Amino acid sequence: MHVPDGLMDPVVAAAGWIEFLTFLAVAIFLSRSKTKERNLPRVAILSAGIFVAQMLNFPIGGGTTGHLIGAALFAIMVGPALAIIGMTIVLLIQALMFGDGGVTALGLNAVNMAIIAPLTGWGAYTLIDPLLNGHGRTGRGISVAIAAWASVFVAAAACAGELLVSYAISAGDYGIAANVSVPAMLGYHAVIGLGEAAITVGLVSYLRAISPELFSSAEAGTALKIPVKWLTSSTAKAAAVILTVFALMIPLYIIYASEGRDGLEQTMEEAETEEGSSLLASPFSYGETYLQVLLAGILGFLVVCLAALAIMRLLSSPERRNDPE
Amino acid sequence: MISMHFPGRMFEIHPLDEHARTSRLGKLDARAKLIGVMSFVVACALLTRIDLVFASLIVAMAFAAAGAVPVRHTLRLYLGALPFILLASLSLFLFVGFEKGVAMWARTSACLLALIILASGTETFELFSGLRRLRVPSIITTLLMLTHKYIGLLTDELSRMTVARRARGFQGGRSLLDRYALKVISYTAGMVLVRSSERADNAYEGLKSRGFEKEMIGWRTRRIAARETAFMAGMLAVSILLLAVQMELIR
Repeated sequence: MHVPDGLMDPVVAAAGWIEFLTFLAVAIFLSRSKTKERNLPRVAILSAGIFVAQMLNFPIGGGTTGHLIGAALFAIMVGPALAIIGMTIVLLIQALMFGDGGVTALGLNAVNMAIIAPLTGWGAYTLIDPLLNGHGRTGRGISVAIAAWASVFVAAAACAGELLVSYAISAGDYGIAANVSVPAMLGYHAVIGLGEAAITVGLVSYLRAISPELFSSAEAGTALKIPVKWLTSSTAKAAAVILTVFALMIPLYIIYASEGRDGLEQTMEEAETEEGSSLLASPFSYGETYLQVLLAGILGFLVVCLAALAIMRLLSSPERRNDPE
Repeated sequence: MISMHFPGRMFEIHPLDEHARTSRLGKLDARAKLIGVMSFVVACALLTRIDLVFASLIVAMAFAAAGAVPVRHTLRLYLGALPFILLASLSLFLFVGFEKGVAMWARTSACLLALIILASGTETFELFSGLRRLRVPSIITTLLMLTHKYIGLLTDELSRMTVARRARGFQGGRSLLDRYALKVISYTAGMVLVRSSERADNAYEGLKSRGFEKEMIGWRTRRIAARETAFMAGMLAVSILLLAVQMELIR
């Protein structure tokens, strides 16, 4: 997934650098207590461990192999803020030692593999793990597997998005057309993600048995100290992290939208069709102005959140619900 | 500050740095190389005209020839990144046209080549030290140096374990359905991480005893001499010229 220089449109690459630097600065600020002098070698050695673990190839089938990315593992072990810093170090070393992933593309590579991947992994793990808490090792394994797979898949989706936006706004000078980039990136990484999930599950269960203190910092809740009161519960933090991943893609959408027409309108105009009456009527109209669309979006988001909460309550084990704590 | 670095020392730990010793670029100051190569790469990434893209590829090849990094080593690193480049070039070739596909291949190759020569023609530690002198925050550069140091140790650990695994008949597995292989691989990775974390405290004490305090920078300071200035000026001039023609400031 290491994008080389010269492949992405300069505007997209610049947006990537801005996002990367912003997130890196926030991550360094949030983990300042963890990156004091004494802890620096610990962070460095974990980054080195992830770097070396990336050298291990796993078989995919038909003689091909893939390798671990390790972002979800890193985030599950030390929390999202330190994982962002650590994965950034891994990417920088790959770029400066092997020329793997470029200079102008470093921002986007970091957004995909050092920000989106660990945040998705940590967010998914933190949201799903409590639901499966009552199911022992299998439950924990499932939550780790989903987190690892999602981290790879979402990062690949972001990369595919960057490629297709680069292609769309540069009129074919940069990027890869959507009909190649989306199936190639998503298809390949959906399979690679399975390997990542299997290895991460094995790794986490092994490390929990052999060296549980490796996980202490993330579980003590000190890894992500956010100075906002309502963000104290881990579910709220995980939800905020997942929303942040979506927010990271907004600049990409704005760049795309500012350069072209709405995709559906464009396709309809090319096919010379007009919008007919819809099959299902929605209770809310999308509206015409920006504010109406925003309101409809927020309402939709709240409805989905409430539905998700209801499902989570139904799924959580009865003992936990009756627990006065 | 820590005085652990002197010429030749890192070569024992990192065979990857071996070409830095023989490369002609190895003697240049890292700051000059970083500024020169990065400005060239940024300029290359902005080029879309096919003649300019090929001009930049020729400059990159000349840079590679001047660097005198072994061709085999350069090709090995280049081939590693080739699948992505080919995917992009072929897709543009099929959907937009021959010219844009070729331009994509030449542009990404020029950038990659310049970066590979920078990476291979410089001791990694010196590169990080150069970054620090260029005012990159110390938390990043110190972490880079420490991580780089530990990667050498852990790679040795991993290669020993790989040999031991092979000696016990492990072949690497056949497919994602091979549960045994995946288990062995994840345990190997786990063992590397456990051993690495066990070393963290010792490593810290070791560093402390050698005078580590917050920051890690090489003691070997160099002045930017005439040849460094010439190198930077040359690379900057080529970059600006290419960009000026691309933006039609010069016809």
